[in-house]
Amino acid sequence: MKTKKLLAKLADFMHKDRVAQREELERIREVLKKLKKKEQQLREKLEADPDEEERRELMGKLDVVHAQRIKGVERVKEIRDSRREPNADKVPEI
Amino acid sequence: MQRILLTAVFLVLGYGFWVSPDLKEIAAGVALFLFGMISLETGFKAFTGGALETVLRRSTDRLWKSIGFGIASTTLMQSSTLVSLVTISFVSAEMISLAAGIGIIMGANLGTTTGAWLIAGLGLRVDIAAYAMPMLVFGVILLLNRSRLLKGIGYLLLGIGFLFLGIHYMKEGFDALQDGFDLAAFAVPGLAGLLLFTAIGMAVTVIMQSSHATLLVIITALAAGQVTYDNALALAIGANLGSAFTTALGGLTANVGGKRLAVAHVLFNVMTAAVAIALIDQMAWAVDLISGWIGIAEDDFLLKLALFHTLFNLLGVLLLTPFVRQLERLLIRYVHYVPPPAEQPRFLFPESLNTPATAVTAVRNEVAHLYDNAHALIAHGMSLRRRVIDSDASLSEAVRHTRRIMPLDVDDIYEKKIKSLHSAIVAFIGEVQGREIAEHWTERLYDLQQASRAIVEAVKATKHLHKNLSRYGVSPNPPVREHYDGIRVQIAKLLREIGQLRTEEPGAVTSLSLDSLRVGLEKSSLEHMHSINRMIRDRQIPPHIATSLMNDDAYAYEIGEKLIAASRTLLVSDEPGDRIAEETLALDDRDIERIAHESKPAEQAAAGETSR
Repeated sequence: MKTKKLLAKLADFMHKDRVAQREELERIREVLKKLKKKEQQLREKLEADPDEEERRELMGKLDVVHAQRIKGVERVKEIRDSRREPNADKVPEI
Repeated sequence: MQRILLTAVFLVLGYGFWVSPDLKEIAAGVALFLFGMISLETGFKAFTGGALETVLRRSTDRLWKSIGFGIASTTLMQSSTLVSLVTISFVSAEMISLAAGIGIIMGANLGTTTGAWLIAGLGLRVDIAAYAMPMLVFGVILLLNRSRLLKGIGYLLLGIGFLFLGIHYMKEGFDALQDGFDLAAFAVPGLAGLLLFTAIGMAVTVIMQSSHATLLVIITALAAGQVTYDNALALAIGANLGSAFTTALGGLTANVGGKRLAVAHVLFNVMTAAVAIALIDQMAWAVDLISGWIGIAEDDFLLKLALFHTLFNLLGVLLLTPFVRQLERLLIRYVHYVPPPAEQPRFLFPESLNTPATAVTAVRNEVAHLYDNAHALIAHGMSLRRRVIDSDASLSEAVRHTRRIMPLDVDDIYEKKIKSLHSAIVAFIGEVQGREIAEHWTERLYDLQQASRAIVEAVKATKHLHKNLSRYGVSPNPPVREHYDGIRVQIAKLLREIGQLRTEEPGAVTSLSLDSLRVGLEKSSLEHMHSINRMIRDRQIPPHIATSLMNDDAYAYEIGEKLIAASRTLLVSDEPGDRIAEETLALDDRDIERIAHESKPAEQAAAGETSR
């Protein structure tokens, strides 16, 4: 194990909150990945030229997924800043 | 029957204690041993805090893993009863398959044989009473702590302490008995003896509800020479058979999954016992042979008995393992499931209370059952058939073609299919919360209770809406009819989409999909409000109908809001981490309102501008 990783583990051990934050971060990243995939699927359906009613529904769903992803990314940034570990955690792209 | 049996046991024991002080010591040993087992089970239940359940769920995807889990957990906890009961509750809650359950039971049977090795190898050769005393003292000190973990450890120590003390008293009792009384004089040779002692072993296990305790009696009696080696083998077979009947009694009150597993347990143990009785001479020969290989002395009948116990259980596992799938199919085919009427709980069984995970799953399934009942009622309340909602057919078309609103006694259905279930759920949750469970399970139960309440409120709103729908739903006034059609389509769409989401795997992404429904609901509500304002402005409807429409819009909104809230609880997974992610990413009321306002159609936006 690299020294950096070992130090991170030691820091986690010393601060219980950090462990909880790390877990939250991992979970949010996981969900964000799935939401990104869902957004892509919705866009593909939109490109398939649906009727007006379906198009409106798909657009509505896209707005919601996008808003959820923004919230998620903001939380990731927030956790990363509070951990004061620049570059330690990559922020997902929107 | 139970009362007669209890009285008989009391009378026999009372007479025995009066006649022989040694029997008093032996019986006290058994009682202490049994109390030790109970303490050990309590300790493990408090101590594991869900770990046992987590491991159980993850390590039962393959048959060999299930058997391995059964062996390991029973060896560790020295209680096949606890493992069997937890397995029954998991199979009943449909959290693991029947085949996995059979695997665990088979493994538990093998794991329980380690007890005989411990008693025969250690228990009777070392002065274990000396170890028991400090354990009891430390156990009680830990028990006085508030911490769940420390209390759990306290119970474990007390359990082991009492087990040791029980073994010690039994050993002393049999040693003293040896001086004045020779039970071995009652030994019966041959097949008659084999069958008789198997029956005795079985009866003793059924009475004591523990094959471990029976084995302890057999081994200590064998050590004291109060029973012959041949008869001891038969008693061990009987003990195995008796443990299956203990589980069977537990399984009788479970649902179909639990019943099937209990039948499998009985079949497995009866088959193992039959093979052991049929091949008793060959088994005894094999025990002698293997004893020679592993260095057990020829006259060490205690270890030989332990070896025999292991061998015949291993033989049973080897014989049944290739046929587990066939056995599962047979049980599913012949042990039938008769679904109780819709108004009765389907998942709230006492067995589900064994672990927090199974209790929460049972409540979750029951709330889902309540949701299904409400789904049917609300669909009919909107004058739509359930099959139309569950299909791909156009809902707008179905609503447009309605000629009359279905008559429906909502009050009656509410009393029968909604209120009774809700009450059962609330009572069950109360019972679970009366036990010591971790905080995250309490929170989950609270959420489920709120979901159950939300479903009830949605049904109540349907009741009010249905009254006006019956009056104006097919009104000859086109704008009024159109408005009610809009409300019906909105609710039907919601029921359909929630129904589709419920077929997906529970998790954060599935429950987050409900935010789209919330935006849709908000948009519909805005549209309906604008439509009423326009109708009033253009004098298309009289004021008393306008107020009815406004009230009904509010009821429709409430139905949607409550159904979405209940579904969110049903769709999120039980994993705490998943729930945190879902809570973080879910949109709040302000987000929902903003998106609904941003995406309203251009014509409505224009109308909104002019109305200001």
